[in-house]
Amino acid sequence: MTEFAIQTQDLQYRPGPGFEIRDLSLRVREGAIYGFLGPNGAGKTTTIQLLLGLRRAQGGSMRILGREAPRELPRILSATGYVPERPHLYTYLTVAQAIRYHGAFYERFDWAYAEDLRRGFQLPQGASISRLSKGEVGKLLILLVLAQRPDLLVLDEPTDGLDPVVRRDVLTALLDFCAQRAATVFISSHLVHELERICDWIGVMDRGRLTAELPMHAFKNGIKRIRLAHAPSLVGDTPFTLVSRESSGLDVVWVVRGWQPPMVQWFQGVGAEILEVVDLDLEEGFVELLRGARSAQAI
Amino acid sequence: MCVSVSVHQYTNERPGAAMFHHIDPRSPIPLYVQIASRLRLAIATGEIAPAMPLPSVRQLAAEIRVNPATVVQSYRDLERDGFIESRQGAGTFVRNLAEPRRSSERQREARRLVRELVAEASGLGITTAEIEQAWKNETEGRR
Repeated sequence: MTEFAIQTQDLQYRPGPGFEIRDLSLRVREGAIYGFLGPNGAGKTTTIQLLLGLRRAQGGSMRILGREAPRELPRILSATGYVPERPHLYTYLTVAQAIRYHGAFYERFDWAYAEDLRRGFQLPQGASISRLSKGEVGKLLILLVLAQRPDLLVLDEPTDGLDPVVRRDVLTALLDFCAQRAATVFISSHLVHELERICDWIGVMDRGRLTAELPMHAFKNGIKRIRLAHAPSLVGDTPFTLVSRESSGLDVVWVVRGWQPPMVQWFQGVGAEILEVVDLDLEEGFVELLRGARSAQAI
Repeated sequence: MCVSVSVHQYTNERPGAAMFHHIDPRSPIPLYVQIASRLRLAIATGEIAPAMPLPSVRQLAAEIRVNPATVVQSYRDLERDGFIESRQGAGTFVRNLAEPRRSSERQREARRLVRELVAEASGLGITTAEIEQAWKNETEGRR
């Protein structure tokens, strides 16, 4: 077993003018719950499709679950549970038929566990999928992949459009599975608050590039909004990364990345006074990071 | 802000999701620290009695919707600090702590609450004298 469940090196993919995935190097540790963040159109779904062989990368290399992709994809996919962005179920099947159909593809499919989940989710066996609510379809999709007992779960917006009660049920089932089994979860979502609770690693995509990849605690603690008086107008070397700055009245607000408390000394050195250091939560940190990355590109 | 420092009677209920309503994923304090602090206090106040089993990692993670690794880390810290012990195959149990230890833990939490209150008040421009006056008014007759 390797240390990384997913490892890509300089993936390149350019389906046409206007969009490309460039130099994508992802590292997803085994056993991590990895939150894959990014605005709409950043390339999250495309990346997932590249990983799972649904699109072919034009350059770079990938290893998934210790195997080379796409060469060893069948072996990789047999141990991977994938919930795509749009449901892929045959709507003329019943719940029980869908479970039998899906399960038939997977050697390790755990029929008893599937039945437990079905009861827990209160999905009627005989109900036709065409008659299920959106929430019930969401539950059925997660049931199918969990019962595969996969080593890797790839979930593309698994709770998008579901109501809070269903979201909670789906996440609870997912976490219960993770606690039983050291599976790796790669979860893409723009519901940032949801990820904040469960993820231990964060990757941020923007415009086809990975702009950040770090442990959740580093992400959350490293990004701060600092309100300053007498801020220097010219900034030379800083011990942190200056993500953005703006002034509001007499005060100047800097957003910095890679912050550590001893860095207050740097401000004393340049004659600035720190009025306030504000912690950012994941969502604010995410927004600031994207803003910073975009203004840097614009320059 | 709610400041209630009361000593609970022992109950025989397992700590459930309700105990963790106040954990805040958006806070810069890591979730595992928040969970451990909450349990530490519950043990110190007697909210969870000695020898009571804690929920399994699997149960608690699913119930409060956090990463199982987070719960593992909380339990590890609590065990290191002598609040709980895990017995192979049987689960994790609350240890019987001497009263001085429990009292010092409650005092620690009290200091934390006051520090938070003072910081918040000073941020809002309320003076220490005003807080002290308000404190007296609120706590009178409660002792």
